Amino acid sequence: MLKLILARLVFMAAAGLLLLTFLFGLFHAIPGDPARLIAGDSAPEALVQSIRQAYGLDQPLMTQYTTYMGRVLHGDFGLSNFSRQPVLKIVMPRLLNTAKLAGWSMLLAMSLSLLLGSLSAMYWDRPLDRGITAFSLAGICTPIFVTGILGLYFFGVHLRWLPIGGMTSWKHYILPVLTLGLAQAAGFTRMVRACMIDALGRDFITTARAKGVPERVIVFKHGLRNALLPIITFFGLGLGHMLGGAAVAESIFNWPGLGRLMVDSILTRDLPLTQGCIFFFAMVFILVNLVVDLLYRWADPRIAHD
Amino acid sequence: MKSYAKMATAATLAASTLLPMSVRGEDAKPQMGGELVVTGQLDKTMFPGRNTDAGGMDVYLNACENLVEMAADRTIKPVLAKSWTMSDDLKTVTFHLNEGIQFHDGTPFNAEAVAFVFNEALAKKFLYVSLLEGLEKVVADSEYQVSFKLSKPSAALIPNLAYRTMCIFSPAAYKATGEEGLGSKIVGTGPFVMSEFAKGEYVLFKRNDKYWQKGKPYLDSIRILFVPEVTTRVAMLESGDVDRAQGVPDFDIPRLSGEDTLKVATIPSLQQNYVVINNLKKPLDDARVRQALNYAIDKAGIVKSVFAGTGATLSQAPTLTPGVFGFTDMREPGKDTIFAYDLDKAKDLLKQAGYEDRNGDKVLENAQGEPLSLKLWTRKAGKGEYQIAQLVQTFLEKLGIKTELTVLESATFSASLSLGPQEAKYDLALLAWTIPTADPDEPMMYMTHTKAWKPAGANRMFFSNPETDRLAEAAHAEPDTKKRAEYVRQWMAELLKQAPVIYLPTVNLTEAYRTYVHGAKYLPAGTYDATQAWIDKAAKEEQGISR
Repeated sequence: MLKLILARLVFMAAAGLLLLTFLFGLFHAIPGDPARLIAGDSAPEALVQSIRQAYGLDQPLMTQYTTYMGRVLHGDFGLSNFSRQPVLKIVMPRLLNTAKLAGWSMLLAMSLSLLLGSLSAMYWDRPLDRGITAFSLAGICTPIFVTGILGLYFFGVHLRWLPIGGMTSWKHYILPVLTLGLAQAAGFTRMVRACMIDALGRDFITTARAKGVPERVIVFKHGLRNALLPIITFFGLGLGHMLGGAAVAESIFNWPGLGRLMVDSILTRDLPLTQGCIFFFAMVFILVNLVVDLLYRWADPRIAHD
Repeated sequence: MKSYAKMATAATLAASTLLPMSVRGEDAKPQMGGELVVTGQLDKTMFPGRNTDAGGMDVYLNACENLVEMAADRTIKPVLAKSWTMSDDLKTVTFHLNEGIQFHDGTPFNAEAVAFVFNEALAKKFLYVSLLEGLEKVVADSEYQVSFKLSKPSAALIPNLAYRTMCIFSPAAYKATGEEGLGSKIVGTGPFVMSEFAKGEYVLFKRNDKYWQKGKPYLDSIRILFVPEVTTRVAMLESGDVDRAQGVPDFDIPRLSGEDTLKVATIPSLQQNYVVINNLKKPLDDARVRQALNYAIDKAGIVKSVFAGTGATLSQAPTLTPGVFGFTDMREPGKDTIFAYDLDKAKDLLKQAGYEDRNGDKVLENAQGEPLSLKLWTRKAGKGEYQIAQLVQTFLEKLGIKTELTVLESATFSASLSLGPQEAKYDLALLAWTIPTADPDEPMMYMTHTKAWKPAGANRMFFSNPETDRLAEAAHAEPDTKKRAEYVRQWMAELLKQAPVIYLPTVNLTEAYRTYVHGAKYLPAGTYDATQAWIDKAAKEEQGISR
């Protein structure tokens, strides 16, 4: 177990460095001059040149690359081109904000989908199953910006029950978490339902039923445990997905998260900040996958044994 | 458009007062106290030397003041300076400063502080440094007297000093924490002290109890929330989460105007859309062709379809917008805009230039039978820029010019439009320009002058005309305002003949706010000045807002 974790951490570091190299190359290959963007469209060339010098953008590419990587190895991701603040100082609180949003949404999505998916499988092809299927299809088909804006106007403007933007109190969490969590739950529910239908059709379930085990125990103990492997993978991928999708919800609900920051930084060609954002996103993604692997071992001890 | 142009824009406003602008509630007696919550936008640092966007000024103007400001009648009024004099050779401007003022960090405001700020701006090339052209150095003559030394006379210097970005920050704070430090905590002499800043979330300014103008400000605090998504901004205003939202979409205006608790204000900005014409490309080097392009565009149609009829104003003069020094209405009698839509006239002008439809395919050809085709570049940014570009394409095709529209991503667009005459590949490109200080010096010397060809200046048309250059230089050096205004008028008249660009409507600025907010100013450069604002508490309570 420890070996696995260590191996993964080494892999993380290597992947991170490779990713930064790739991003560095990519950003220098696409058109758009950061110094020009900082100075403004109409700024005189002399001014743009002086900014290039001040930010080290006039150095040869290789020098820029080695300087940057050298700093990264010391934990310094540089300064944002626009706000002139250290990237880490900007990214860390944002990452935490996104984690809060994604974490609560994920919790909602997982619990709701496990419940609804299992019920759906239990009552397969009956009205309850059809109702749940309708809910999940509607959820999958409706983009977050539609449900988000509708929710915002109904609960925020019309009823005035909930605040609209920011994240200063627990009430601020309700709308974004519901929007993001329900959308994710819709997809998850379909997956849980399919896995559960498969598991509930297996021989050992028939045996359990023949032995008179209560249906509740059959479904939630034996069925769910056996359906869990693909579901865990799907949840893991879903969290990665959610980190990306959070950018939309963050814009609608004015949530100061990493997704919004990343989009803004790309549009303004704020290279150090974009690299920081993508790097930490990638690290979170790899960490989530590590957790998924560990959960696998818990759900199916045979894997650890192999 | 994070452009310099925009910066310029802002400037004006500073002065601001001069144009039509939205000011409210001066009649009633101001009430003390309360927190004003408004939406804003701060994409960059808060340090004035590195952020000349209107959104940046909205933030730092609460804490940082200028030597002078521009009043509604375009006169320059003293703020931190109480008076000024000019030397006989017009090369030295001396300011006498108000005494006993302190920066928020407790250090004294004096001549040395002023000299430090401007000398540092020159040395470190702050973004506004091109507006200080001709300034050699600033010298502290005594504790409260400071002189600006120029290499040649500049009539634009004093109006430019009213540009909000040229505010005087604390040299002590700058030396201690650098640009980065002031970028997240601005320290000036203003009516509010910056007390909290959460990047991407909000900035909070609290009343400066030691403010040098007694009895002001009225509010206890101003909280600016950064809300980039416009739908969210409007929803927050409607729900009462904020007291004021900027940049309300034109199509929301009728609905919001119907609310008793809200007021919607629309004012013309200093930002004029235009299509860059590459004057070096044939046949665009012919003034008749450029005029024809101008006449072929139905500007009123653009205002109606892109701006819902209210989001933009038809241009009355080339390049300059109302409120800029020397502005004169240059429309022909009975016309609603310059180069009023006239397709026949456009066709006639092209015919004179040698282009007509020779084979009945509705495309104009020259004598050799080559069709007239142009490349138009745009980006998906700004207020309706892409839609305007689509309409321009339609109008030009109607005239018989094949027009290929290319949409570039913003950063790429900006880089492609910053190239010199040899590298520039566009025929036409849709842009907007703004006049930073409500003074024509910038457009005359920096946007249309031959010396300002890209990449040195902002003349991306590569337009060159000895007469406009001569008039621009004369106006630049002329201290007599009447004579200077006359040079400006002649310059505009010459631009009308030359048509270096396609002139399009001026964008309007729209804001919506709660009716209990009084005394705030929304300036044409897009800057919101709430330093003299106050809140009618009874009215606020009546609206059920208990924040």
